[in-house]
Amino acid sequence: MRKLLYASLSALALMASAASLPSTALAQDWLETAGKPFEGKEINVIFLDRPGYRAIIKLLPEFEKKTGIKVNYEIVPYENSREKQVLNFTSNGDLTIALVDLVWIGEFAENNWITSIEEFTSDPSITDPNLKLDGFFPLLLEAFGSWGGKTYGLPFDNYSGLLFYNSCQLKEAGFDKPPATWDELLTDYAPKLTDASKNRYAFALQSRRGETQSADSFMRVLWPFGGSLLNKEFKSNLLSEGSQKGLQFRQDLMKFMPPGIVSFDHAEAVNALAQGQVSMITEWSAFYGTLTDPATSKLGDCLAVAPEPAGPAGRLPALGGFSLAVAEQAPDDLKKASWLFIQWATSEEIARPYVEAGGVSGRTSIYEQPEIKAKYKFVEPMVASWQKGVPEFRPRFPAWPAISEVVAEWGSKMMLGEVSTEAGAKEIGTRMEDILGKEGYYDGKRELLQ
Amino acid sequence: MQKGGELVERTETRLNPGYGRWTPFWFLAPAVFALLVIGIYPTISALVTSFRRYNITRPRDGFPFIGFENYINVLSDQTFWQSLGLTARFYVTVLPFQLFFGICIALLLHRPGLGMLRALARISLVVPLATTYAVVGLIGRLIFNRDFGVANQFLNAIGIGGMDWLGSPTGAFIAIAVMDIWQWTPFCALIFLAGLSMVPVEIEEAARLETSSKTALLRYVQLPYLLPGLTAMLILRSADILKLFDMVFVMTRGGPGAATDLVSIYIQRVGFRVFDMGMASAQAILLLIMTIVLSRLYIRLIYKEIE
Repeated sequence: MRKLLYASLSALALMASAASLPSTALAQDWLETAGKPFEGKEINVIFLDRPGYRAIIKLLPEFEKKTGIKVNYEIVPYENSREKQVLNFTSNGDLTIALVDLVWIGEFAENNWITSIEEFTSDPSITDPNLKLDGFFPLLLEAFGSWGGKTYGLPFDNYSGLLFYNSCQLKEAGFDKPPATWDELLTDYAPKLTDASKNRYAFALQSRRGETQSADSFMRVLWPFGGSLLNKEFKSNLLSEGSQKGLQFRQDLMKFMPPGIVSFDHAEAVNALAQGQVSMITEWSAFYGTLTDPATSKLGDCLAVAPEPAGPAGRLPALGGFSLAVAEQAPDDLKKASWLFIQWATSEEIARPYVEAGGVSGRTSIYEQPEIKAKYKFVEPMVASWQKGVPEFRPRFPAWPAISEVVAEWGSKMMLGEVSTEAGAKEIGTRMEDILGKEGYYDGKRELLQ
Repeated sequence: MQKGGELVERTETRLNPGYGRWTPFWFLAPAVFALLVIGIYPTISALVTSFRRYNITRPRDGFPFIGFENYINVLSDQTFWQSLGLTARFYVTVLPFQLFFGICIALLLHRPGLGMLRALARISLVVPLATTYAVVGLIGRLIFNRDFGVANQFLNAIGIGGMDWLGSPTGAFIAIAVMDIWQWTPFCALIFLAGLSMVPVEIEEAARLETSSKTALLRYVQLPYLLPGLTAMLILRSADILKLFDMVFVMTRGGPGAATDLVSIYIQRVGFRVFDMGMASAQAILLLIMTIVLSRLYIRLIYKEIE
């Protein structure tokens, strides 16, 4: 009888442990099987020198061991990454994976440089049984990986604009919480936190000419104030009341920013907060690591993180990030091998080690884990920011790089006071409509997708 | 006689067994081949591209020949002229400093004595020249940093308050000019020094006996020997400033506003951000023509053979 009891108990225990077997083990078994036919193959991708990429590089040996696929990566600066990939894709180069910034998705998809994932998900032998596309934040999958109703890439290096602030300085000035709205930041917080004689300023908005000016500075002040770059007919919306209000707000806030803010890139803005020169910045979540590292930041426990302040139109923070997509130019076997890598790198299974190694996963489940929430201060505000947002925060159509250049030039001229917000907006509008006209958006040749 | 002639020829052939009609060709071939591959072919390719609509991010539109449309677009493009004007301003700002400091350094190094120190100075002159442009840009960003840059510390030390270099249009222009002067003055100095060392010793000594005026010595004896070098320098600097990109891009990316938007930065943007290769090629060909015209002008106006 006792033997029977032991036997049934052990059987039960065995069943229970089998049921609770971490999905990792199962999924990785799947990866091993799926990777077999591609053993010894080499896939090529471009990485950036940012925390998310350093994290995946740390985990790479695991993937290579399981599948036998060799991942070759080249680290290039962001500024050259599009140029490098476009030249590679137009000359039938060796890249098998595309690293797609959300603003490039339209260009890459419309030129057939990247492959829709449908081509792979229909083949169960190379598709993760735990792929779970609905496990990504819907906003990220939509904004980073989809174009014209099709999914091309899976969210890999994910950012949201956050308000990083020095809670000690705010406390000294009599504030025990961060500003909830942009207006509050300007009228209540900024004057009390600025003392030019001591080289102390309330806020820094990275505004260096280039994508930093157009994406991080210019677009950031349009949406929360009810403005936008384009209206429904794809004509300039920069002279609308909301857009002008936002741009004027930026001019007003400049009084509380360090001089020379137009030369501040991400590094300078982050450094200004890290060294105590400014009290608040709105920056990408990816800079959390830099701000917590004692080697690069003096902040220590004074660092606090909140969602970006809301404007009259609501909380519409900056949205940015990269997806990984299979490059259309790759031969079939390398396409499949690349697809395996992309699924693995963005999977729920490695989300935790990825986050612990410094990456920011686009999977919802990882941020529900209490230890993760407790350990990383940026998680809650970031998850809150990803609940609602505008996928077209920056238009994602192929014309964006050309428009971005125009915005970068005239946006910084506005900040310098060389032109008024109205005159600058007019100039950007004319040039932007000229570009869009040439692209065929006004004669019905192209769908108005952004 | 004929027999004698044949004999001489045979003897010569025997003396130089490897020498034939094709020998000079083989000596020249590598250089000509390299020039064809890295110089002539890309130029012709750019010329052909400049007559086509050639945006590589729009392969669907094809790459048709469109005659002079790209050139017309460039010539009627206000931004192109503005950036060209700024480049000209940059050229006339930096060149006088480089020539002046270059000649001063060359004259100092040409003086006899202090052999070891002079050798050391000559070697250290090569350092800025050997520094990659992008690195010069990075050094520039540090030097002209508003808060911890050396430039502002120096200004504060002598009692003039620091300024916001890279954040103000004038400051940024001065900053890139200073970095260019730093990098290229040694080149001018070395060229002038080479010119000075070409002055025959006996002529220079005779002139020193004739006059004690150093200005007269420079004007009437040394200057003629400096002119060929000066012409080469003007040609090289013109071409170089028209294509000056890395240093400025790293320091300011053409900003703030359009304060340092030199023509090369603009062309790079058209070529590698917008990927309108047709337009960018047309701009580059126009710059090439400008460089050739300027070079001819310099040679005609300044260059003189020494007799």
